[in-house]
Amino acid sequence: MRNPWAQTGNYRTSYVQDTTIFANYREIVSVVLLLLALCILPLFLERSQVLVLNFILIYAIAVLGLNITTGYAGLISVGQAAFMGVGAYTVALSAPSLPFWLTIPLGGFTAAIIGFIVGIPSLRVKHLYLALATLAFQEIFVWVVGRSPALAQGAAIPVEMRNFLGLEIGFRNHNYFWYYVVLFVLVLMVIAWRNLLRGKYGRALIAVRDNDRAADAMGMDPGRTKLMAFALGAFYGGVAGGLLAYMQRAVVVEEFTLSRSVALLAMAIVGGLGTVVGSLLGPAFIEFLRLYMERLSEWMKSNAFIQSITPAGVDVASALLPLSFGLVIVLFLIFEPRGLYNWWRLLRSYFRTWPFRY
Amino acid sequence: MKRAIILVAMAFLGLVMAQGRTVNLLWSGAITGPTSDVGGPYGAGVEDYCRYANEQKLIPNFTLNCTVRDDQYQNPNTQRIFEEALDRAKPAIYLGYSTGAMLQLKPLINEVKMPTIPASAHIGLIDPPNNQYMFLPVSSYSEQVVALMEYINRTTKNAKIALVINPSPFGRAVVDHARRAAQRLGQTIVDVREVGSGNLDNTALLRALDAAGAQFIIHQNVAGPVANILKDAQRLGLNRKIRQMGAVYTGGSDLIRLAGDAAEGFLWASSYYTLDENAPGINLQKQLAQKYNRSADILNSTNYTAGMLAAAIAIEAMKRAAQRFNGRIDNETVYQALIGMNGPNAFKPGFAVSTKAGIEIDFTRSEQTGAEGLRVLEARGGKFVPVTEPFTSALFRQVRNP
Repeated sequence: MRNPWAQTGNYRTSYVQDTTIFANYREIVSVVLLLLALCILPLFLERSQVLVLNFILIYAIAVLGLNITTGYAGLISVGQAAFMGVGAYTVALSAPSLPFWLTIPLGGFTAAIIGFIVGIPSLRVKHLYLALATLAFQEIFVWVVGRSPALAQGAAIPVEMRNFLGLEIGFRNHNYFWYYVVLFVLVLMVIAWRNLLRGKYGRALIAVRDNDRAADAMGMDPGRTKLMAFALGAFYGGVAGGLLAYMQRAVVVEEFTLSRSVALLAMAIVGGLGTVVGSLLGPAFIEFLRLYMERLSEWMKSNAFIQSITPAGVDVASALLPLSFGLVIVLFLIFEPRGLYNWWRLLRSYFRTWPFRY
Repeated sequence: MKRAIILVAMAFLGLVMAQGRTVNLLWSGAITGPTSDVGGPYGAGVEDYCRYANEQKLIPNFTLNCTVRDDQYQNPNTQRIFEEALDRAKPAIYLGYSTGAMLQLKPLINEVKMPTIPASAHIGLIDPPNNQYMFLPVSSYSEQVVALMEYINRTTKNAKIALVINPSPFGRAVVDHARRAAQRLGQTIVDVREVGSGNLDNTALLRALDAAGAQFIIHQNVAGPVANILKDAQRLGLNRKIRQMGAVYTGGSDLIRLAGDAAEGFLWASSYYTLDENAPGINLQKQLAQKYNRSADILNSTNYTAGMLAAAIAIEAMKRAAQRFNGRIDNETVYQALIGMNGPNAFKPGFAVSTKAGIEIDFTRSEQTGAEGLRVLEARGGKFVPVTEPFTSALFRQVRNP
C-alpha cells in the first residue's frame, strides 16, 4: 500500500496479514493514544477515583480470562471468582517471602493448575451441566477456605507491600502505584491474549466451540483444547486475584464468592463475549452502573416523597442494584447480544469513513 | 488602646471561626443489600444521634457533619467510601460495619491512624496486628458466647453443647474460644454446624444434633436463620429438650417478630438495655424515634440502640478531644480521647448495662472493648427480659490469651 495512514479499510492479501495483531496503522496509533491517556488519567483523579479504576482494570483481566473460557471456547464458567481467589490466597501466603512480581505470576500458575483440574468435567459434559460443574467448584472453594485455619478460615490475611525499589508505598501513593502495575499487567495480558488467539490455538478454540466433533475430525484435540482453555482462563483469573489482594491490602473470602463470579460473567456479556474491547468496556460499564445505582438508592432512601409512595415493608432501594443488574443483562441479551463491543465497532466504522457515509 | 482593639478583633475572629467549624464523622454500612435488616436501623441510629448532637450542640462551637453511606455489604464499596472520605472530608472518627470489610480495612485504618468503631464485634478486629485504632462498642461475639457457656455451667455441669454458626468469618469467630472455654468448664462441644440464610428446613440439622446428645445450641448468627431453627425445633418437639441461645445479633425484636412463639425460652447475650427498661439512653432512643418519625420496627430494634451507642461514643470522644486539645478535633486527638475514656472519665450514655464497678463504656490503649458488662436475657411473652445481673466473663479473658 502506498500510504498506509490513509487506509480506510482492511485490505488483506495474505494469511500473514490476516493474523497480524493490529489490522492497520490507525489501530496502532489509537492504542498508543489510549495507553497514553490511561497513563496520565490518574493525574486528574482523586485517590479514591483511582481505586475505582483499579477495580475496573483488575476485573478486566479476570474478564479477559473468562473470555477465553466462555467467549472463545464456549465453556460456560461460573467459577472465575474462585480462580481469582486461588490467585489471591497464593499471593497472601507467598507475599511474606517473595516479591510481588513473582507472587502474582505464581498466583496465576496455581490458578491455572486448579483450572486444568476443574476443566476435566468439560471433557464429558457441556452447556448447563458444565456450568453446574464450575458452580460446584466455586462453592467448594469457599467451603475449603472457610475450613482452612491456614487461610484464616476466610477472615482477612494481610498482604502488605511497603517498599518497591526504594519507593515507599503508603496510603498516599498506594492506589497510584497499583494503578500503574495493574495497567502494565493488563497490557501484557491483552498482548498475550491477542497473540495467543490469532494463531492456530485461537482457531482451535473457535472450532471446538462451534462443533467439537468437526474439530476432532479436522485433526484438533478437543479435550486438550478445552483443558487449556480452562487453564488459561484460570491463569488470568489468578493474576487478577493476586493484584486485587495487593490492592486491597488483605484477602477475605467474601471477595471471591458466587456473586462475584456472576458479576464477572455479566461484565463479559455486557462488554461482548470474546473481545478485548468488550473485556474493558464490560467491567467499566458494570462498575459505573453500580456507582450510579448506589447514589440513586441512597437518594431514594433519603427522599421522603419516594418513601411515602412505597408500600410499607417493600424496600425498593435495596432491590435497585440487583434489579438494574438483571435488567441490564437481559436487555443486552435480547437487544444487543454482541454487547458494548458492537456499539464500539459501529462507532469506529462510522468515523473510519467520516465525513462520508457508506 | 491599639493592642486592646487587636485583641478584641482576634477574639471576635476566633469566635466566628469557632462557630463555623465543622467536624466530620463517617458511617458506612449495609443500609441496602444483605444484612440491611441490621444495617438499616443501625444507620438510622447513627443518623438520629448525630442530628440530636447538632441540635443540642453536644460539641460546643462545632457543627457535626455526619456522613451516612450505604456500602450494600460489598467490601470494595466500603473501601471506596472510606477512601473517598479520607480524600474529601477527612473524618475524625469512622464508624464501620461488617466483619469482612473491617478485617480487610484494618491495615489501612492502622496506617491512617483512624479511630474506628465497627458494628461488628469480631475479636480479630481488636487482636494484633493492625488493631491499635479499633474499638468495639460492646463485648466481642466470642465473649458473649463464652458468657453463655458460663451461664449454662451454673445450672448444668458437663453440658453437651452444639454451635450453630453463620458460614462466614463473622460466625466462625467464636469457635476457637468456645472450644477452649468448654475444655475449662468440662463441657463438650458435640458439633459445630454452619447455617446461613435460606435454611427453610432444619429437620436434619436438629435431628443430628439431638442424636449427638446436644442439650444446648449456641447460635452465632443473625436473627433470620435462628428463627427458622427455632420454629423447626418447636415443630419437632425438640424445643423442650434442647435449649437454644445466641450472641447479640441473634436476638432482639427481630427474632421475636420472625420466630413468633417459637422464640419463647430463647436465651440472648446482650450488653444493651431493652426498650422496656428505664435507662437514659433508651428514653432518649424513644424520644428521638418519635421526633424523627422512625417506624415501630426501627424503634424496637436493638440495632437502632447499637447505632446510637456507637455514635454517642464517637461524639463524646470528639467533645472530649475539643476540650482537652484546645478545640482540635482530628483523628489523633479523638484517639487520645478514646483511650482516656476510663476510670473516673468512663462514659455513661445509658444504652448499655454497666459492670459491677458501675462502668458502662471505657477504653484504654490495650483494652479496646467499650461495654464489658453483659446480661443473659430470655424471651418471655414476646419480649426479652433479663435473667442475670450484668456480668463480665472472667473465663473469656483466660481463653482469649491462653
